[in-house]
Amino acid sequence: MAKYLLNRIIRGIVSVVIVVAVVMVLLFTLIDKNYIFMNDPVYSKRQQNDREAYKYQCWENYGYLEYIPYSEYLEELEREGGISREDRFAAAAFGYTAEDDTEIVARYVKQYREKYEAEGFTFVRLDALVQNKALGTLMNGGSPKIFVYRNTPVLVRLWKYFSHLITIDNIHYVEDPIEDRGLTFTLFDPLYGGKKFSPAIMGNGTYHKYLLYFDGTFPFIHQNLFTISLGESYSINTGVDVFTTMVQTQGSIVKSEITFPAGYVGQASVDLHTAAYSAGSYSTWDGEKWVVTTEKYYADRYVDNYTLVEKTKASLSKTGFSFTIGIISTFIAYVIGIPLGMAMAVNKDRFIDKLGTVYIIFIIAVPSLAYIFMFRAIGKSIGLPTTFDVDNLTAAMYVLPIASLALPSIGGFMKWVRRYMIDQMNSDYVKFARSGGLTEREVFSKHILKNAIIPITHGIPGAILGAVVGGIITESVYSVPGTGGMLVKAINFYDNGSVIGLTLFYTMLSVISLILGDIVMALVDPRISYTSKGR
Amino acid sequence: MAENDKLVDLSEFGLSDEELFAHYDNDEMESERITAPRYSYWKSVFRVFFRKKINIFFIVLISLIIVFAYIYPLIIRYDPEVDPWKFVSVSEAKHLNPAQAVSYHGFSIHWILGSGAQGQSTFDSIWYGSSISISLALICAAINMFIGILIGAVWGFSKKVDIVMTEIFNVVGNVPYVLIISVLVRILTGSFWALVFALTITGWLGIAYFIRTQVIIIRDREYNLASKCLGTSIFRIAMRNILPFMTSIIMTLLATEIPSYISYEVYLSYIGIGMKEMSLGKIIESTQPFMFVKAWGFEYWSPVVIASVITVVLYVVGQNLGDASDPRTHM
Repeated sequence: MAKYLLNRIIRGIVSVVIVVAVVMVLLFTLIDKNYIFMNDPVYSKRQQNDREAYKYQCWENYGYLEYIPYSEYLEELEREGGISREDRFAAAAFGYTAEDDTEIVARYVKQYREKYEAEGFTFVRLDALVQNKALGTLMNGGSPKIFVYRNTPVLVRLWKYFSHLITIDNIHYVEDPIEDRGLTFTLFDPLYGGKKFSPAIMGNGTYHKYLLYFDGTFPFIHQNLFTISLGESYSINTGVDVFTTMVQTQGSIVKSEITFPAGYVGQASVDLHTAAYSAGSYSTWDGEKWVVTTEKYYADRYVDNYTLVEKTKASLSKTGFSFTIGIISTFIAYVIGIPLGMAMAVNKDRFIDKLGTVYIIFIIAVPSLAYIFMFRAIGKSIGLPTTFDVDNLTAAMYVLPIASLALPSIGGFMKWVRRYMIDQMNSDYVKFARSGGLTEREVFSKHILKNAIIPITHGIPGAILGAVVGGIITESVYSVPGTGGMLVKAINFYDNGSVIGLTLFYTMLSVISLILGDIVMALVDPRISYTSKGR
Repeated sequence: MAENDKLVDLSEFGLSDEELFAHYDNDEMESERITAPRYSYWKSVFRVFFRKKINIFFIVLISLIIVFAYIYPLIIRYDPEVDPWKFVSVSEAKHLNPAQAVSYHGFSIHWILGSGAQGQSTFDSIWYGSSISISLALICAAINMFIGILIGAVWGFSKKVDIVMTEIFNVVGNVPYVLIISVLVRILTGSFWALVFALTITGWLGIAYFIRTQVIIIRDREYNLASKCLGTSIFRIAMRNILPFMTSIIMTLLATEIPSYISYEVYLSYIGIGMKEMSLGKIIESTQPFMFVKAWGFEYWSPVVIASVITVVLYVVGQNLGDASDPRTHM
């Protein structure tokens, strides 16, 4: 069993990697890379050469290519000691066109060009766009640019993506020369005044201050040691990672009385457990000693540079909403759908079976959009709220989205349970059980049901994990701030980073669900075994 | 005894033994003939199909749908470039309910469902849209079923192909379908054939996988093993032993496939990945904002109801035809 599972997991990981590679090829090669600027306000504001440079900068950020402007090269050169500071300034002042360059500029530009062209980069020099020749004034965005770029091959992109997937926080993260780097374990979290029992692991020199801690919100134990980055999004939640977008809380800000590390007590909405290192916010290292900031805000509140905190918001995260709705509707679907399917099978060809069949046909054949709007219209007529208000949540708001997700799955369960049970009803062991004198009740509950339910159990892990994905139409119809619409929105906005991140996330969910489904099936049915070679 | 009374006394006929009894030669050929009633597959299919009287009603509905979707636009010479825009400049002609439309334009079949946002006839545009949606569904189902059954059969028979194809299925099945479709529709600029291409490029995989599982189930049955032992070729086994068994499965699959493409087209239009033509999905998507405007709700619900009727009718007829095409129901 263990060997089989290991094999399955390895094959699963391989297929996840291939899926991401396929999606990358699909997105990065088939779709014109200029499309990503369609909804970018910065792009439409920039003009001429500035726009051109901005494009390459963005393409680098989103993994299309490597982009190195001339000034960056000179800075790098200075850091390595290849050029003095004065020379750097002189070399950086390149002219409007190549002919205008001074001797030192021409030398360094040539060196720059030769160095990168040898590495396969393409050299681009955009001449200044002069508006008025006599005055020498430039057009808007017409300043000259020098840069090199190189397209990133898919394999390199894939490698970069997976190597940045999980970051483990470590005590060497902070570059400033701070003292006593290390981890401390405490049983009494200082944020609770140091008296309440609440274990925490804190770090100094790490990016996050709290690596493991307990607090009052679900799931009560939290960690900052591992950070998952699925890919930066630029349309759904500009500049923020997809995974963070999915799990961060939403809605209005909640203020409460907070005691800051430096003793300041006041109304604030920050979650101090999320504190991350922000160089120079509290004190700066001037080469010899630490200089504490004069900014009153930081000086009053903090005792170190861990000042980057997240705001506490009132509502659930996107995943939280989708999962709440999804898990309840899945539960309802199992609880109602399976008994109904059983009732249909027991009363085959009688009224209840025919009524159920009509419902199944309705669910299968009618476009899902149509019946979701129909449920909404019915819900509205009986006075249920049809839109989700994140800041004033009531239980009634959940009713319609849950019903819209549950009703179709009930139809699905009815169909399959009926099918499986009827198939079992004609098998020899059932005839034998009947001839042995068992009552119909015993035949159904002890023999048919046990066998018919096995294929149903295979889908349970998938249904639970799949609840995170959310329903695209349901969520948009009831304006639920969930994960359902994220993929479609990302596709529509050409947000490649998000698309890849979401694909990876969904693929992992489906691979895990299938493996778990096989395990559950083997647990329920002792005849199924993954060890024997005979299978 | 009482039973003896029923026996016929041959002497009553007054015939000699030679006249009563003639010698009959033992005929080897005759003994091989099976005296079962004549059986014609397709005749039986239709006999079983029409045994349910409700199917006649559905067949009538399906013919009506075909007439309205394909012949009606030809008769009225519907031009999608011109007709929807005829009354675009007449503000009184827009958003009319059926009663208002009939009183405004005078009674004709065009206005029995009222008019839409451009003053166009809802009835005409729905049926023109239906013809696009039904064509899309039929073409996609035909392509996907053809490729799917062909590859699924090979996939089920050959163990080597099975290993490769299962891995391909695991990978492609995990790439979100919406993503593949939207990328292709974007590149190919959202025409009808672009959508057909996008729906069929990976759409056959699911069908092939389904067929593969069915083939594996019957492949190793005893009668097939017996056929194989007697030296029947794989092709003949596939055609004579397995295909008849699969007809009902294929028909049932087809019954779910065709309506599912119509539904899927509606769904794609809703999330903004539709085609340019005013298909049913496109109409539903464009009239969706009017759903909650009291006087205009009709514009939204009429295409939805017609789309639902079309899908339900196609599904039910397909299912019942699937049942009827199963030789086991021909008893």
